Amino acid sequence: MLSLWIVLFVVWMVANATLAPEVAVLGAAITLALAYVFSKSSDAWRQIRWTPAGLYHFAAYTGTFLVELVKANIAMMRVVYAPRIDIKPGIVKIRTRLKSPIGRLALANTIALTPGSLVIDIQDETLYIHWLDVQTTDPDKATEALAGPFETHLEKVFG
Amino acid sequence: MIELIGSLFILAGAIFLFSAGLGLLRMPDAFTRIQAGTKATTLGNLLVLVGLAIYHPDWTFKLILAIYFVLMTNPISSHALSRAAYRIRTPMTSTTSVDMLAEDEAAGGEPGKKPGRRKRS
Repeated sequence: MLSLWIVLFVVWMVANATLAPEVAVLGAAITLALAYVFSKSSDAWRQIRWTPAGLYHFAAYTGTFLVELVKANIAMMRVVYAPRIDIKPGIVKIRTRLKSPIGRLALANTIALTPGSLVIDIQDETLYIHWLDVQTTDPDKATEALAGPFETHLEKVFG
Repeated sequence: MIELIGSLFILAGAIFLFSAGLGLLRMPDAFTRIQAGTKATTLGNLLVLVGLAIYHPDWTFKLILAIYFVLMTNPISSHALSRAAYRIRTPMTSTTSVDMLAEDEAAGGEPGKKPGRRKRS
C-alpha cells in the first residue's frame, strides 16, 4: 500500500506542477484514501515486485516495448501504403506463463501495440489474438512470436 | 534549433496519425481497422507529445504523465472495441484464415455460438 501511495502522490504533484504546502497536504490525504481503498478491495498491486531486479526488468521491458512499437508502426505503414492490401488475418491463441492479473493486463496491452496483433479475449491463461498476418497456428510457436520478447521481463516484475 | 527538432517530432507524429486515418479507410474489416487505428495513433500521439516537450521543457513531466495515460488506455479501448465487435458477430474479411476462438467455443459446447453462425463477408 505504501508503494501505491507514493506513486499516486508523485502523479498528483506532477499533475499540479507546484510545491505549495497546502496542495501537497491535500494530495497526501486524497492519495492515502485512494491507496487504502484500492489495496483493501484488490491485491493486484501487492504482487508487483519493487526490487532492484524488478526495476531493471521494467526498464528493459520499456526499452523492448518502444523498439517493438516503432517496428509495428513501420510494418503497419507498409501494409497501409501498399497498392494492394495482401494480408491473411485470423484469430490464434497463445498461452501465457504470467500468473498475476496485472501482469496479464500488461502483456495484453503490450500485444495490442506490437506487430499486427490485438487481444480479442482472455480465458484464464489463454489469450485469443487477432493476428493481421497469420504465420503459424501452433499455440507454442505463436506464443514465442507474439509474447516471447516481453514475457521474460514481465514475469520478473509482475510474476 | 531546438524548435526545429521539436517540429520534426511533431511532423513525424502527424505522419503516423495520417497513416492511421488512411488505414481506417483502406483496411478490409472491423478488426484490421481497429489494428491500424490503435498502433499508429499510439506512436503518433507519443511523438507529438515528445515534440511538445522539446518545445516547452517545463511541461516535460506532465507530458510524460500524458504519454503513460495514452499508452495504458489506448490498447484497453481497442481491446474493448474488438471484443464487442466479436461478440456481436461482426463479419470478418473473406481472407481470414483461422478463427480459433470460435473453434474453442464450439468445442466447449456453448449453445448458440457455433462457428457456422459467423458470417464471412
